[in-house]
Amino acid sequence: MVRYFFRRIYSSFVTNVFDVPSKLLALLLFMLLLVIPATRPSSYVLLILIIAYIYALFAASWDLLVGRAGQVSLGHALFFGIAAYTSAILSKFYGLPIWATIPLGMLLCALVALLLGFPSLRVKGPYLTLVTLAFPLILHTALFAFDPPVGGEYGIALPPRFFPRKFLLGTEFLAEYYLILFVMFISAIILYKIANSKTGIVLVSILDDESASKACGINVTKYKLLVFVLSALFAGLAGGLYAHSFGAIGSVSPGSVLGLTTSFYPIIMTIFGGIGTIYGPIVGAFSLWTLMEFFQFADELRVLIYISIIIIFILKWPKGVAKFVVEKLDELTEKRELEEREKKK
Amino acid sequence: MIKRERKRLAAIAVVALVIAVAVILTSLYSLGPVERADFLTKIKKLVIFGSISGSVFALLALGFTLIYGVADVVNMSHGAFYMLGAYAFSVFLTSLGYHPLTNQSSFLLFAALILAAVFIGLVGIVVYRLLIHPIIEDTLSVLVITIGVTLMLHQIMLLMFGDKNLPVRKLLEGTINPFGTTVTYHEILSVVLSFSLISVLWIFITRSKIGGAMRAAAQDREVATLMGINTERLYMLTMAISASLAAIAGILLSPPAASPVLRDWTYPLVMSFAIVVVGGLGSIKGSLVGAFIIGFAEKSIPIFFPGGSFLKGAIALIVMVVVLLLRPKGLFGKRVEAE
Repeated sequence: MVRYFFRRIYSSFVTNVFDVPSKLLALLLFMLLLVIPATRPSSYVLLILIIAYIYALFAASWDLLVGRAGQVSLGHALFFGIAAYTSAILSKFYGLPIWATIPLGMLLCALVALLLGFPSLRVKGPYLTLVTLAFPLILHTALFAFDPPVGGEYGIALPPRFFPRKFLLGTEFLAEYYLILFVMFISAIILYKIANSKTGIVLVSILDDESASKACGINVTKYKLLVFVLSALFAGLAGGLYAHSFGAIGSVSPGSVLGLTTSFYPIIMTIFGGIGTIYGPIVGAFSLWTLMEFFQFADELRVLIYISIIIIFILKWPKGVAKFVVEKLDELTEKRELEEREKKK
Repeated sequence: MIKRERKRLAAIAVVALVIAVAVILTSLYSLGPVERADFLTKIKKLVIFGSISGSVFALLALGFTLIYGVADVVNMSHGAFYMLGAYAFSVFLTSLGYHPLTNQSSFLLFAALILAAVFIGLVGIVVYRLLIHPIIEDTLSVLVITIGVTLMLHQIMLLMFGDKNLPVRKLLEGTINPFGTTVTYHEILSVVLSFSLISVLWIFITRSKIGGAMRAAAQDREVATLMGINTERLYMLTMAISASLAAIAGILLSPPAASPVLRDWTYPLVMSFAIVVVGGLGSIKGSLVGAFIIGFAEKSIPIFFPGGSFLKGAIALIVMVVVLLLRPKGLFGKRVEAE
């Protein structure tokens, strides 16, 4: 019985992952990320990878909302910031364990998304873009009304870390690295499954033509709210992870989690990687963060080179780099299958 | 349909005005004599400074709404053009031989203003032609590219000028005291300048041939192309006008000489968003009204609530959200859109 079960899993794995080159590529890349710590990188490198994974998750959640449902939001930092702040406050000042505070932060994000979604999803197109942009900035200024331990410019200093120092293995960030990698990978799979489920198809129909999908009897408002809440949940997860890994070595401050640039990051990463694909933003986030570190030799010109490269890539591949590669791979497999079929004839 | 819409708007405006006057009168009536005088000066201040910043904001938002209305481009680099304008003004001023102590001719100031506006207009053309034009059909890519341009210009400014703040001269020195408040000549000049620019632009758009082409392209890009309008060149021109308006607003609105945070593109960007959304995207009339609403709202914070200075940045956004929730297409935006 057990053997049969395993064999079935194995065979479905082979047909679903091994025989699809793009999925195989994704699996290989994941394996590569798993063995990176074996090369004994410095904690700095691990930290860069950790922040890349967090932003990958953040950008993927944005992609579900925008790439699938077409609700262009420029204020996703709102959820990132709410979750980061909630988790940091609850764990630092109320002594709650981290595994409880991050879900609480996500829950709060979902609630906020539900409350803001009702009115703001009424507006459409560029208006939605601009109204969503306002929310994190309003919260950003509102935080300045509170007194320093919580509010203020410097935010919450040193929220607790996931693992006490030197947990398990020698390197400082190793345990966090694996934790965040796995969380990112599993959430990415969930997001991918949602995006390609029946719900995902309904969402794409809303993206394509809202009036037509309404005419087909789809409750557009319900689906929009659903995707808004789902997206907020995962953005909140990313925010919570941020607060206890990258934020925990400095601070969770309004500038770092609620600023304009925090809202801009997922957009840049998603467009760079390929919108509407879920894997696109992950590739985008990963390549952009590593690219940023790669140009460290350029010193002052670093950011300039980096932005020029992004602009050139977007002009050259407006569909996104990852999407381009995957489409090429799919084309190749189709060609190969056709050739094989012709040979059989 | 449109007429009814206008009537409703007018009714809303009248009701708002009546409520505002009633609130002011009742509070005047209930206050003591000293507080009454204090309150009156506050109101005077609000009216004067609100209209000053409102008129410059109008200039800023007009560029943003113009390029959106004509070319459907949500230009995130509008704030960068504003910032760049102030820098270019300062650089041109020093290279023209202006010196705050020895050579103070105001002719040089105006020459630098015009040079800076033209220069930023050229920058706008280059940005449009090289970066925005190839992907203009894809709104999201345009968004990202213009964000990229903003970050890039920010970096270039950082590399060229570092952290030091360039002194921004006032166009005119001196002050006058109307109604017991101090107003600088620079502020009066900026009101006059923005209003004359706005009226020139209005006449240009409504009367001239190119303006007609702009309105045609705003209505329907494809049909305008079929009618023989070169939309590419038209968009380039629109972008140039939009960028130079932002630059002039940047020069007029820059903080006085020694004040910091010149290298800031978020503030003008957020302001133009708020104004344009309140007024209705793509509507020139709307952005004028929106600019004054936002101007008054912003100035009311330091005047009426001196303690809540942290609210100064958020008030414009709060007004924007409230207006948008009441009217999802802004005050003057198209309410019903054929989809």
